Amino acid sequence: MAVREILCYPDPLLKMVCEPIAELNQACDTLIQDLLDTMIASGHSVGVAAPQIGVSRRVVVVDVSNSKLGRDNNHGQLVMINPEILEQSGQKIMREGCMSVPDYTGNVARAEEVLVQFLDRNGDQQVIRASGFEAVAIQHELDHLDGLLFLDRVSSLKTDVFRRKKH
Amino acid sequence: MNHFALTIIGRDHPGIVAQVTKILFDLGCNIADSSCSILGGQFAMILIISHPQFDSLESFSDAFKPLENDGLSVFLRTLQPGGEATPHLQGELCLISVYGSDKPGIVYPVVRELGERQINITDLNTKLVGSPDRPVYVMMIEAILPSDIPLEQLAEVMAQLKTKLQVDISVRNITPVEL
Repeated sequence: MAVREILCYPDPLLKMVCEPIAELNQACDTLIQDLLDTMIASGHSVGVAAPQIGVSRRVVVVDVSNSKLGRDNNHGQLVMINPEILEQSGQKIMREGCMSVPDYTGNVARAEEVLVQFLDRNGDQQVIRASGFEAVAIQHELDHLDGLLFLDRVSSLKTDVFRRKKH
Repeated sequence: MNHFALTIIGRDHPGIVAQVTKILFDLGCNIADSSCSILGGQFAMILIISHPQFDSLESFSDAFKPLENDGLSVFLRTLQPGGEATPHLQGELCLISVYGSDKPGIVYPVVRELGERQINITDLNTKLVGSPDRPVYVMMIEAILPSDIPLEQLAEVMAQLKTKLQVDISVRNITPVEL
């Protein structure tokens, strides 16, 4: 049980592809608890990925149930081990920020709905269909596991209506 | 470190940014913040730059002269200490879209309502679009709402303007999500 410090870019860990969890042992459970403690302690946060607290493993926690945008459509507190997106559809643009990239935000286009497969904290296989803000949060956290920051996904600078291609 | 505001504008063509930044690089200047865009047929650059030694405009001597000779207008100004720091603006970020058939007097009546309420504009773009015989004016404003002004109140003010100005206006929250 510990609130861990959130690493900020340019910490090299944030740009690494994380290793899958091979077995759910005590170390893994401690990592999960640290992620949850850190997410809760950071107040506004709706998700934390393991590399953000310095562990290059494929684990994220997500919980949008306390946020205005996600409270009506969510799966509560999610612990996702070795998560994988199986299907995605639709498009949703949100202006994202990240605790690991302070003071910068950008418009990012993500899938509106995702089907995600993962192991939960008990090691049970789960498949959920998430949409809206929860889907965005999941995609943002899963990107961390592949060394991707929202900066790699920014779709437009400022207002993008002027920059559309003419047909 | 001393900071300066540098503004450059001129007929757009490839190579302007390279030309400008080569001069800054050779001088040993840092580019802190910048925003560059095409406006009409012009390329406009606004940069906040700094230099470890330079303390006045004279330090730059005639470094930007080649740009002027190439038809670009260059304006340089010294910032007061602290003028380079981004203020930490608190409040909900909203986007106001204003658009309608082009006519004089769209921008001012809208932004006046914001100014009177101490609503800080953080970004504003306008553009003339549509066809020559049916021009459409589009304005996008990003603004930060003070805590005592809810979005609904601003939306109400804008709804009244909509009727008065005969344009379409919508207001929505675009406060970034911290993930």
